[in-house]
Order: sequence, then C-alpha cells, then structure tokens
Amino acid sequence: MKVKVWGARGSVPAPGPEMNRYGGNTSCVELELCGGSTLILDAGTGIRGLGVGFAAKLPTINILLTHLHLDHIQGLMFFAPCFRSESSITIWGPSSPEASLAARIGRYISAPLSPVEVRELPCDVSFLDTPATEWELGGARIRAESVTHRGPTLGYRITDSDGTTLTYISDHEPGLGAPLEEIGQEWISGYDLARSADLLIHDCQYTDEEYPDHVGWGHSRLSDTLTFARRTDARRVMLFHHDPLHTDDFLDTFLDTANGRWRALGGEPGQLTMASERLELEVSAPAPAPAPAGA
Amino acid sequence: MDQRPLELILARNFLTGLSTPAFLVDEGGSIIFYNEAAGDLLAISFEEFGQKPAEEWSGAIGPFGADGKPIPIEELPTTQALRAGRPAHGNFRIRSLKGDEHDIESTALPIVAEGGQEGGMIFFWPTAGRGA
Ligand SMILES: [Zn+2]
Ligand SMILES: [Zn+2]
Repeated sequence: MKVKVWGARGSVPAPGPEMNRYGGNTSCVELELCGGSTLILDAGTGIRGLGVGFAAKLPTINILLTHLHLDHIQGLMFFAPCFRSESSITIWGPSSPEASLAARIGRYISAPLSPVEVRELPCDVSFLDTPATEWELGGARIRAESVTHRGPTLGYRITDSDGTTLTYISDHEPGLGAPLEEIGQEWISGYDLARSADLLIHDCQYTDEEYPDHVGWGHSRLSDTLTFARRTDARRVMLFHHDPLHTDDFLDTFLDTANGRWRALGGEPGQLTMASERLELEVSAPAPAPAPAGA
Repeated sequence: MDQRPLELILARNFLTGLSTPAFLVDEGGSIIFYNEAAGDLLAISFEEFGQKPAEEWSGAIGPFGADGKPIPIEELPTTQALRAGRPAHGNFRIRSLKGDEHDIESTALPIVAEGGQEGGMIFFWPTAGRGA
C-alpha cells in the first residue's frame, strides 16, 4: 500500500514560510491499494493539490470522511474531479439522526458559503453513510467506527488484499477521562480500529504542556498518542493533525521529543514519522513467519 | 476482550468524574463499572468487586426491600425498565461491606445509540444512612 500525505494540518489551513516543510494544508491522505485503486481519506484543503494531478487517473473515486469539521471537507469544492462530467465520486461519512450526509455537506457547498451547489457539480456524486459492518472498496476491507472527538466522528481501518493494515484516526482524544496506560483495552476509544496496524495515522495536535488548556477539545497530546500507539501495538505511527501554531522548527523539536518518549515506552527507533505534505510511504504487512521445517 | 461501544466508553469517562455514586451496566444489565463514589458507598472498589461474580456480593450488599429481604437485581424496577429501554426511578436499601445501611433513591437512564440500546447508567442518591 502506498500512502501519500496531501495535508497534515489540523483545525485551519496554516500557510506561511515558516510552515513550508510540513505544510499548511488540512487533512487529506491518498492511499494507493495493491490492486491499483485509490482511496482518499478526508477532503481538507490538501485534496486540492491531489485533484490537480488526478486528472488522467481513474474516473471512480472514493473519499472517506472522518467527520464534517471544516478542516476535513473544505477542499471538496476545489477538487478538480468534481468539475468533470466523467468523474464518479462516492463520499462516505458518518451518519447522523439529524440529517443525511448529503444535506449536511450541502450546508457548506451552498450559498452563501459557496458559489456552487452540489446539484450543479458536473460529476456524478453520491453520499453514503458508512456501513455499520466491514465493507469492501477497491479490493480492500474497510471498517469505520466512532471515536472520541467532538460530534459524530469516525476512524477507519483499511486492510488491503495483501493483508497490509492502515488505521486512520485524524481527530481523537482517547485520553479524555481515561488514563490510557492503565485502563483496560476494552475501554479505549479506537482500540479495535488500531490494533496491530502496520501504519497508524493518528492525531497528535498538542504537546503535553499545551494540552491542559485544550482538554475536551477532541485532540490528543503527545503522551496520549504514543501510549495509544503502544497499547494498540502499532508497527509504525504517523503523527498527524498538526496544530496551526506549530511551525517547521517547532515540529522538528516535537519529533525529537516524541522519539525520546517512544523509546522510553519501549518503542523501536524509526517507528515514528511526523506527517508532512507530499510525504510518501510504502506500507506492508510483516512477512509471515516461515513454516517450521519438516512440519 | 473486545472494545466496548464508544457510548459506554464516554459514559464511563463521565461517571468517573462525578461525586454522585453511579453504575454503568451493559445491555444485559450486568454491572460493568462503577465510580469511586459508589465504591465509597459500598465500601468496596470496583476493581475488587469486579473479581467476583455479582451474585456473590449481592447477598451481602443488597439491594434490600422494605421488609429487609434481598431483592434480586433482575427484579428491581430500575433493572427491568432499563432492559425495556425506559428510564426509571425507585427506592431500596443497601448495606456496605462494612455493615452500614443506606436508604437509596435511584434513577436509571438507558443509553441508546444508533445501533440500539447499549446499556444504562444508574445513579444512587443516599437519602438516609445508619452505621452498623
Ligand atoms: Zn480536524
Ligand atoms: Zn474535528
């Protein structure tokens, strides 16, 4: 599975010369599955850049939205394939008793916030609630489950046909009211989604020092992200959803701190990555243990 | 053990922060958590309680009716209401493991999420107590 980050920022785009290396665009990750199909995770402003190069690619596009906060849907209206009649786009997202997914997204893609309405888009677009049970897209098995954030929010577990598993939980505060080091695993939000993932892409918006001013805002501090990753046995971890105040230099230092803490928790060097725009990773499941000789 | 539904995880987090004695039950009505205030009232922490089947404790703790006889938890109006997906309010007496007795007013609220009922929260309001 190939992973490419198009937007790693949380909350609001944060462009500027001091943000150039990690990038200022909000959440969007492209997955190329081993069968050749593509899945897009979230449609923050990063999806605009993805759409530019997407012109000649497959006309069928699946976008999996974690939730409808603006930093996860703002790029939809600027995603070039939406403006092509040959595109067929399916947008998956959390259900709500209040209104359909189409109606809720339509509040953003409509006047006065938008110059176009959903029905005016030339592409064939459909909006689907994520199923309660695992389903299949492009040969991969997808599981969506609610996680602790503010408002209905999903995390995704994507298992490719070769067994590689990626977990994406962009906005998550599993440590809210729950001491993650000691609490039983059945009480940890997102545990089943993240268990033994080959790559866990996870919220790491705040330092431990910043967190006390943001308790209950729906995001993780570093120590909770790392403890969550250790408890769930993630093989690799990508720290994601950077705070808009965190500059390149700040994030460099933050990664050093994270690596130190990770080792102290028993993690191995090289397992942590700081998400940055256009970062590409090849993710694979561990090779199966060789069968015992003579068995 | 599989992860609990998110709504029960959030309910546990919420109850943990309360000073009102409160219990969390699963969809079958079994106690899956109670907070420190409830532990104070019963004189046994949830961690200790959780290590034995509920029947072993209920004879000692109660609840008891006005006649002093134990009421099976399954027969409490609150339990029955929860199982039927309704809120309920009721009275009974409990005895802590230290032997002191408390008259309790109890309110039970079902936790219903998109997939149906996942459990319930039961709050205890001690109205009177007597030392052993
Ligand atoms: Zn976000
Ligand atoms: Zn959010």
